[in-house]
Amino acid sequence: MAKRPTFIPPPQELKRKAVNFKRGFSLQLEPEVVQKLEQVVEKATDNFTVEVAEKLKQLRVALGEIGGGAEAKRYMREIRSTSLEIKGMGAMFKFPLLTAFAKSLNDFVQGMDDPTDIQLDIIAAQIDALYVVMANRIQGGGGKTESQLLDALAVAARKYKD
Amino acid sequence: MSMEKIDFSKVNFLVVDPNRLMGSMIRDVLVTLDAHHIDRARTMDSAIAIIRQNRTDVLITEWDLQAEHTGMDLVYWIRNDPASSNRMLPVIMMTANSEEEYVVRARDAGVNEFVAKPYTVQSFYSRLATAIARPRQFVRVDGYFGPDRRRRRDSNYAGPERRADPDDNGRR
Repeated sequence: MAKRPTFIPPPQELKRKAVNFKRGFSLQLEPEVVQKLEQVVEKATDNFTVEVAEKLKQLRVALGEIGGGAEAKRYMREIRSTSLEIKGMGAMFKFPLLTAFAKSLNDFVQGMDDPTDIQLDIIAAQIDALYVVMANRIQGGGGKTESQLLDALAVAARKYKD
Repeated sequence: MSMEKIDFSKVNFLVVDPNRLMGSMIRDVLVTLDAHHIDRARTMDSAIAIIRQNRTDVLITEWDLQAEHTGMDLVYWIRNDPASSNRMLPVIMMTANSEEEYVVRARDAGVNEFVAKPYTVQSFYSRLATAIARPRQFVRVDGYFGPDRRRRRDSNYAGPERRADPDDNGRR
């Protein structure tokens, strides 16, 4: 028979130390503080483009190194991890299309350890799409062409996932 | 309306993220909030070494640590390992794995708050403020030790007490 749960009162030390009625930031942030925090993100945009350029290079290198066998597994893991990082960063820096393409790539390579030639072609196309977004500094959702490309990659990914 | 404030200068943070840009950005956001004490780590082992020094008040960790161990392994260690010095440490999990499946896995590992990347600074702040100012009670039940996963309580609920059900430890 399962044991009854034991409830432990919420720890209060941190709350006692940090929460007060005089000094600090309200639980609901004032608009000027939000603006200040958003400026922190904006200031990091230059570093973001450098970081993504490096990540894209890593993706290309990993893709080029996949030859099959145990090594393929290692490089596919790297592609999964790197595409996940790009997915998480893009929209924060006003590049939601980058996040969308990175998500498409990341979804496609889930559970894929030894890709076929067609699958490698699709991965290459997805990495190319990421390069296009960054090379053209496409902020926002992009236009009709980008939307069609995203749809086309999704169709290819669905068709050749397994 | 609550006039409570959070004095972040009193809080010791540990930020674990192997991505230098994302880790630095969290640090910069915390500094803008007047946080003075921010430790950083890139791996589970270095994070554990800092936690063992007993100065960490809030852990902010990435799920994918790009190494043998993940942020989830770190949470498991904090909540369950006999060597863990603060099993009730507030943990904020950040990840680009934003699908519901991952949210549920994080919750069932004992994470306090979940931040899906890409995030807005407001959503990050909201999770941070909740973790500090609205601590939840902890629960020990078969196979789980962590913050109470029931955030809302219905005083009119008259159904069965599922926590007493041997087939349900909140994993449904």
